[in-house]
Amino acid sequence: MSSKWTRRDWIRRSTVAGTAATVAAAEAATSPGRPGWQGASRVEQIATNCEMCFWRCGVLAEVREGKVVKLQGNPEHPLTEGRLCARGNAGTQLLYDPDRLKRPMLRTGARGEGKFREITWDQALDFLADRMTLLKQKYGPESLAFFPHGVASGFFSTLMKAFGTPNSAEPAFSQCRGPREVGYALTFGRGLGSPEPVDLEESKLIVLIGSHIGENVFTSQVTSFSTALERGARLIVVDPRFSVAAAKADWWLPIRPGTDIALLLAWMNVLIAENQYDRDYIAQYAQGMPELAAHVREFTPEWAEGITEIPAARIRETALAMADAKPAVALHPGRHATWYGDDTQRSRAMALVTALLGAWGRKGGIFLPTAIHAGAPKLPPFPTPARERADGAGTRYPLASEEQGLTLGLIDATLSGKPYPIKGWIVYGQNVLESIPLQARTRKAIDQLDLMVVVDVLPVDQVNYADLVLPEATYLERYDAPAIVASAKKPFVAIRQPVVDPLYDTRPGWWIAKQLAGRLGLGDYFPYDTPEQHLATLVKPLGVTTGFLRAHGAAAFEGRPYLDQRTPADGPLFPTASGKIELHSAMLQQLGFDALPRYTPPADPPLGYFRLLYGRAPVHSFARSENNAWLDALMPENQVWINSEAARDLHLEDGRRIVLENQDGARSLPVAVRITPGIRRDCVYMVHGFGHRSRALHLAYHKGTSDTQLMTRIDIDPIMGGTGMRVNFVRVLDPEREA
Amino acid sequence: MARYAMVIDLQKCVGCQACTVACNSEWEVPVGYARTHVHYAGPAGVIPHLVAGPYVAQCNHCSHPTCVRACPTGATYQTDQGSVVVNRDLCIGCGFCVEACPYGARFLDPVRNKVDKCDFCAARVEKGLQPACVITCTAHAKFFGDLEDASSSVSQMVYEKGARRNETPAVHIGPNVYYLGRKANVDLALASFAPRPPRLAAPGRFWRDAVKPLVLAAIGATFLGQAIAFFNQLVKGEGQFDD
Repeated sequence: MSSKWTRRDWIRRSTVAGTAATVAAAEAATSPGRPGWQGASRVEQIATNCEMCFWRCGVLAEVREGKVVKLQGNPEHPLTEGRLCARGNAGTQLLYDPDRLKRPMLRTGARGEGKFREITWDQALDFLADRMTLLKQKYGPESLAFFPHGVASGFFSTLMKAFGTPNSAEPAFSQCRGPREVGYALTFGRGLGSPEPVDLEESKLIVLIGSHIGENVFTSQVTSFSTALERGARLIVVDPRFSVAAAKADWWLPIRPGTDIALLLAWMNVLIAENQYDRDYIAQYAQGMPELAAHVREFTPEWAEGITEIPAARIRETALAMADAKPAVALHPGRHATWYGDDTQRSRAMALVTALLGAWGRKGGIFLPTAIHAGAPKLPPFPTPARERADGAGTRYPLASEEQGLTLGLIDATLSGKPYPIKGWIVYGQNVLESIPLQARTRKAIDQLDLMVVVDVLPVDQVNYADLVLPEATYLERYDAPAIVASAKKPFVAIRQPVVDPLYDTRPGWWIAKQLAGRLGLGDYFPYDTPEQHLATLVKPLGVTTGFLRAHGAAAFEGRPYLDQRTPADGPLFPTASGKIELHSAMLQQLGFDALPRYTPPADPPLGYFRLLYGRAPVHSFARSENNAWLDALMPENQVWINSEAARDLHLEDGRRIVLENQDGARSLPVAVRITPGIRRDCVYMVHGFGHRSRALHLAYHKGTSDTQLMTRIDIDPIMGGTGMRVNFVRVLDPEREA
Repeated sequence: MARYAMVIDLQKCVGCQACTVACNSEWEVPVGYARTHVHYAGPAGVIPHLVAGPYVAQCNHCSHPTCVRACPTGATYQTDQGSVVVNRDLCIGCGFCVEACPYGARFLDPVRNKVDKCDFCAARVEKGLQPACVITCTAHAKFFGDLEDASSSVSQMVYEKGARRNETPAVHIGPNVYYLGRKANVDLALASFAPRPPRLAAPGRFWRDAVKPLVLAAIGATFLGQAIAFFNQLVKGEGQFDD
């Protein structure tokens, strides 16, 4: 068995041993790049998709003599059409980051100490296979937990299922989109998926509730947003902070944090009381209208004013603006939705406003996905785990996704040994210390493990806690399963292929998973020898050749994004139990939850404390990009936004370094203050992802501070187990004054 | 004759800095420097009546550029299309043009020891491509074209939609980068990043009339010296350099 697959191998194999004659023919006809000559050097442009975040924009990599000299957007990509954000343009600085993990490593010091010795891949894989087998014998296969992130993790997920553990969990659900997916699925029968199908460019009115498009950059979403603005769409932004989007808004509603449900109920009150909702749409498609009308009758704008601190007149005015624009109202469902622990209900309230405006499945509102039916490798059946999931997904938290799981549930199970012991973790592309709050518990859980494995590209802090570190090739050096995206107006398939050979002694994730499977006797779950074969199996039913995809990067298909275009092949319009939009949720009622959303007041900050809010910056992705030389140059650290008046009371000056201390005494690293009128005085804000603690990240080490570190308290959503994180309070310590 | 210009729609721009990185990547700009920057103006005012927004800064390719006058060697010059460009072969890295630019658009590239700045992606435009910042702009907020071509998007934005230049009563040297957007936002952005008076090391005329010929003469003399040395070497043979 070859120990290392390279792009050249792939190209050679694919032409020599293409899985079907048609594919082989296409290979011959279409070369994988667009080679040309530039001066004396041969230049290729190779299409792939980006992984600087998870939006997977189309990329063309310009490769000169084996080196990627430039990345640019792929104009043929159906979603992003040649546009690439700052991070995407800076991808070469991840590929050529000198701090990258370079060789497999075995821990020699204490956990957290960061002392390792380098070993070979054979040694690493033998070690891991032995340890996994040992765990299986001693505690059962369920004792191994998997923490994945990203599309590339599919190969590992297959391995985990084949191994026999149901325990896989990613923050994408319980620390991010989970409440939104559940809230909308309860209402319309389907969640939103990613990229979320918000018809921004066709909307007449955009409503953002805490969404900070522009600071949160997903290329095509920014394009749609700005296109809408150019076409004259109006904009309502509900945010305690004067975000970039708020500065473009027709209405900025600086809401008291945590009171969004009250605002949404009052909007519904106005739409119904003033008979301004889409009566035909509701009559045709929805059930539960009388219950909803009765429920919101008492929630007047005047009632909401006292809670939200938004004047009743503004609430009424914005509700009527929505009514005017209906159904072309794009009420963005948000993305990171785990705020206060009642987030499924807030998402439900957003879904209900969307329904009242007749905007679901309508132009300018939320459009519908069009399924495309890819193939799948023929695998033996997965073993049925002997025990149910350890994290409570589907049981303790009845509507939690069993596919995506609950990260904190797995951490709890690791700590308590209940319902059964969790003794090994494999962390792939996820950052368990920075993306999950309650870091101290996570560290303690890791301490109790028999086996901690991290598969990553960079030496982030969690690497220091690993027994075994497996250095993965970056997205520019590896094949991943293609993006098969239904939630676009034109559904599409897009390829990720290596544009250069892996540097150092790194390997692609699919290879690592397949090699491990071979050693564990699970090789039948990986019935392909090359990525080319895998790709061909997936895309063959779509009528697209691998050669076409390799040359062009993506292929799009016809979509049916609006209700009036749907065909029987698309399935029921509203795949709920009733087949209708469920304004009143029988499912929630059965489970003992509120069938209609209700406002529950969040705890207020104690005197002298601010609520800690956090968000994103356009030049960074989570805690992944801070060591990127080009992005570090643009934004080396985060700052704490503090309201001007509050800062005056605290005698702070702009730019001064302070330390934040939370309600439980957890302290931040020193961080600069940004004094601004652009935030309410009851909260502070910072960009997530900074304050790296790994010295091996030479650029990012100790720059700025981590918001996650200040999250020692959470409110869990009882419906789906989401982790409400905006429930922490901080006060300002001034080291200069106290010294 | 063409007149290249750019228009930036600040209502569409979200300040994501894709332009900055794409430009740095295209032109191999050293880390920590940039040919195009994105700044943020504000917020100004009191909640809830605030104004804020991005501002994109780069070379304005002015019609009456102070940098050209300040350049002692003629390295900085205006093309027939109105772009202001730097001929690196002639640049001696003196930095006078950096001081002379009211927009802070120029910098001394510490790797090449030459002055660098936006050249409207001359090499790309020559090949019929759009500038790197324009093609990557996630918000489709940046437009490039010929102001004298009435059918161009920039011409329409300037002459029909009223895109504005960043000028003050003190500094009006005909910048060819224009800004669109809501009045309050553009007002704030232009006020926050207004041009400063150019800092000319000595009166421009002095440079043009006295120093520039002297420097050119000095350069000529250097070449002459080199040539003499070269012929000397030819005459003497290479033996003496072989140790």
